[in-house]
Amino acid sequence: MDFEFTVSGVRQTISLDRKDDRVTIRHGDTTLEAEVRIISEDSVSLLVAGRSFLVIVARDKDKRHVWLNGRTYLVQSGKEEQRFAERGDERAQKGKSVVTAPMPGKVVKINVAEGEAVRKNQTLAIVEAMKMENEIKSPLEGFVKKIYVSAGDLVDSEKPLLELEPK
Amino acid sequence: MFKKILVSNRGEIACRIIRACREMGIASLAVYSEADRAGLHVQLADEAACIGPPAAVESYLNMDRIIETARAFGAEAIHPGYGFLAENPEFARRCERAGIVFIGPNSRALELVGDKIRARQTMENSGIPIIPGMKHVAADFAEYAAEARKIGYPVMIKASAGGGGKGMRIVCSEEELRPGLESGQREAKAAFGDESVYLEKYIEDPRHVEFQVLADNHGHIVHLFERECSIQRRHQKIVEETPSQALTPELRRRMGETARKALQVAEYNNAGTVEFLLDRNKKFYFLEVNARLQVEHPVTELTTGIDLVQQQIRIAAGEKLSLRQEDLVQRGHAIECRIYAEDPSRNFLPSSGKVLYLREPRGPGVRHDGGIYSGWEVPIYYDPILAKLIVWAETRDSACARMAAALDDYVILGISTTIPFLKDVISHPRFLEGATTTAFIKNHFENWREKEGPADGLTLALAAAALDELSPSRKVGKAAGLEKEVYSPWQMLGRWKIGEKP
Repeated sequence: MDFEFTVSGVRQTISLDRKDDRVTIRHGDTTLEAEVRIISEDSVSLLVAGRSFLVIVARDKDKRHVWLNGRTYLVQSGKEEQRFAERGDERAQKGKSVVTAPMPGKVVKINVAEGEAVRKNQTLAIVEAMKMENEIKSPLEGFVKKIYVSAGDLVDSEKPLLELEPK
Repeated sequence: MFKKILVSNRGEIACRIIRACREMGIASLAVYSEADRAGLHVQLADEAACIGPPAAVESYLNMDRIIETARAFGAEAIHPGYGFLAENPEFARRCERAGIVFIGPNSRALELVGDKIRARQTMENSGIPIIPGMKHVAADFAEYAAEARKIGYPVMIKASAGGGGKGMRIVCSEEELRPGLESGQREAKAAFGDESVYLEKYIEDPRHVEFQVLADNHGHIVHLFERECSIQRRHQKIVEETPSQALTPELRRRMGETARKALQVAEYNNAGTVEFLLDRNKKFYFLEVNARLQVEHPVTELTTGIDLVQQQIRIAAGEKLSLRQEDLVQRGHAIECRIYAEDPSRNFLPSSGKVLYLREPRGPGVRHDGGIYSGWEVPIYYDPILAKLIVWAETRDSACARMAAALDDYVILGISTTIPFLKDVISHPRFLEGATTTAFIKNHFENWREKEGPADGLTLALAAAALDELSPSRKVGKAAGLEKEVYSPWQMLGRWKIGEKP
């Protein structure tokens, strides 16, 4: 059976052939034979040529967090990724000129005004989260077209803060 | 001894204090904000009371409400932990007036050491070496600019009520001074409710070495040796250890004596930490007194065998210290890593969300002080510290190896944490050599990225995801709503209510 996933923006195709507790895994040029034992709702033990791996899988709304040997992989299923691409498209129309909040927090200060000329890396706004102030810098040289938030506003991650017009 | 203690804090430190109470047969009373009803400290404590809305100023900083709560529940003492009201002399004074024991120094000593500027003055008068800089808060920008020129750039902006790196800025030129002051004052105001800042000479590439001190109410003072806390990011400690690689027995003795003297001069009681900067020539300068239990106290506990929280409670109850300086010894080596809810691959942006899965590392010599559990949602309102991982071993090399193994074994899924970053810090050749200075992170970890994993690691991770997909009960996005949803970026907004129109 074939599966499509996306990890760190790269599409990955993997095929699994399962016979009882034996699985043949094909991924690119790699073929692995594994013996599978489900340990619990979120963990599975794999024995691959005598090597023992515990894999922990936590499900999020539209992705999986997979832990293996001290590393965490963010795995999105192919179908979900298409949706992301579609969503991305919508945002892509606005282009890179919309500056969004990088994390949830509180807008402490807006350092610029609408119509103002800004340099690249100029501080546009300050967003505070978990008691640390984070400066939001301009990604480009241009003008401030629109400001969407004001000081004191609570913002979520990806929330547009302001829109710039490239010079 | 007290029968009941109110713990006016949250997260891992509240849990740590509640555990000490339990071991001493003292009932614990947790307080929580509306955002923390599900907090681990509420679950662990014998009793719990809500003290207000999520914003810290309305809950964990609400002195009247906390004292009222202590009265209503019959708690005889309050342990403030670190942060929040821990170093607030006004709070200590109000407790004293209300007849409630504040587990920390007396309000006068707290006032003195809490005012970094006055503390510097007092220490200097007693012959304790200090960093050159201002001994008062300036009236206006012009005065700051003049002082900065007098001290000579680069200068350091520091919050007078400061600690934990809040409000701190390095300023290299007069151009950067005004924005640095503004932002430092704002951060100081938000963190401590006091926007006073002052300027100090910036010492390049120093080590940060601090001494743990215990002073009882009867004039008996001992120090419990040093902690080296040079590994810092944005002036926030992230890795601490003891003993320090930089100290000789002679230097350790001299610094320890200076630390004792500093607390004596301040007429200080209970647990305190005297921070020093150690420059390249092994000259040390008094930095400040941290008048609280420190985040990094466990490394001292593991190497001296002394429970600092229990000592704090005993001292507050009026007991005499049973420890004598000549009996205290350091044994082995301990290292602590702070686990923050921050994304190290995205410039350490705070990361909030749900802890989907937690597995704490275990094994000989491994201690985990945590305030989190699987299924808990990390609130955005407070410090991003989630937990502390502490290891002990016979030697520094073994302790580093043990820490690396424990970090490898540590699983937190659902939110980004500093664990992958800490692994690289701990295994960095310069760290292993003990060549740690406050510039370590800046020098070696600028633009850090997580290293690529082994190829078959990804293959097996994908296989596990596929197996998971096959299991019918585990369909991702099984909320049928996903199929019907409107594709808009707003769907990505989490649990926050956003009223504003874009």
